[in-house]
Amino acid sequence: MSLKYGVLGLLKAEPLHGYEVKNRFEAMLGGTWDVNIGQIYTTLQRLERDGLVRPVGARGDRGKQSYELSPAGQKALDDWLAQPDSGPQQLHEEIYVKLLLATRIANGDLKGMLARQKRAYLQRLRDLNRLEERARRDGRIDLARLVRGALLHTEADLKWMDELSSERFGTEGAKTE
Amino acid sequence: MDGRIVVGAFRDGGGENRMSELVRVTDITKVYQGGITGALNGVSVTIEQGEFTAIMGPSGSGKSTLLNLVAGVDRPTSGTVVVGGTDLGKLGEAGLARFRRDHIGFVFQFFYLLPNLTALENVLIPAQLKGDPASGRARELLERLGITDVANRYPARLSGGQQQRVAIARALINNPTLLLADEPTGALDRRSGDQVMELLGELHREGQTILLVTHDAKLATRHAARVISVVDGKVVDDARLESPERAASDVIRVRSEEASR
Repeated sequence: MSLKYGVLGLLKAEPLHGYEVKNRFEAMLGGTWDVNIGQIYTTLQRLERDGLVRPVGARGDRGKQSYELSPAGQKALDDWLAQPDSGPQQLHEEIYVKLLLATRIANGDLKGMLARQKRAYLQRLRDLNRLEERARRDGRIDLARLVRGALLHTEADLKWMDELSSERFGTEGAKTE
Repeated sequence: MDGRIVVGAFRDGGGENRMSELVRVTDITKVYQGGITGALNGVSVTIEQGEFTAIMGPSGSGKSTLLNLVAGVDRPTSGTVVVGGTDLGKLGEAGLARFRRDHIGFVFQFFYLLPNLTALENVLIPAQLKGDPASGRARELLERLGITDVANRYPARLSGGQQQRVAIARALINNPTLLLADEPTGALDRRSGDQVMELLGELHREGQTILLVTHDAKLATRHAARVISVVDGKVVDDARLESPERAASDVIRVRSEEASR
């Protein structure tokens, strides 16, 4: 997703200017999504151009302009919320590419790679567990839920490493070319 | 929390030095007749006092067997198990029973409370075997674990989470050197399981040495900074994990700056 729906969702509650959108967005995500103010302004301009938000009130000090959701923006937001997250699964991690390459390279040291990756996932689980604990302690239940999702994903990745570790690897990758 | 109970102090070192090593398992094998799963094949592991260690592996990997050997409820086919300076192989049955009573607290997946005894009576059994009335400590433990109000109930009238907390109180009544837990949340719903895990973490922070067996990597890494992986009767990894305070953004990214360009 882009920032677009995040901005629409925040404007649903009340009109906000750019900095307020940035601050609320970052607070909501608990630091797990970097945004810079430039991105926010660009997004607001595009949303205004497309008729999904409109300026409200006069420009405040230092030219701050608040925006509110238009009826079209409201509809776009509702449609997006009602839409399940589908389409191809996004795999951002290098390990997928590393594994594909390692099966094609004679000295790919797959076993070692899997063992190292397993360790890295265990460490990530440890970090996530501690983050979840801290989020709960701080009353950030929404962040704790997000972290729980990450825990389950990482557990799946770890299980995948386990499955691969029990397999025999040849040069099967070469045959697909 | 006042009236807290200090756990885990190793009182009875058998004249051994007080270095931090508590368990030393050396090259143990366990062979089961008829090829039952859970065999061990050359496992060596040491556990330090005060550690929270998780033993992780799929079912049938031998992880529970390893725990049972450390607990002295089972004997290895070959190799040695030394706990707190005591070589368990040198103990007879009576000596082994005494060792278990004095040094081991064991928590199981299915609680194993005696059905015809109340919660409090269950907690008291290990102390009574020792001739120690321990009723004051039992009350403290029940209080501490939040089960005082069900002290006089029979296990059948307790929820799973309550039964497991009674079982934990029973495991702690004799101030065990080592607390062993075999899938302690396996029969619990997530909320009760979280409470049990929270409790184990608390006990560890107070100094209790804990060995947790689980197939669940999320649980293994909750409190344990060390995760030993067992597969097909062998230790395939012994990971010592770091526990720094990390900012949320260093642990998890819903979307990074770079990716959003």
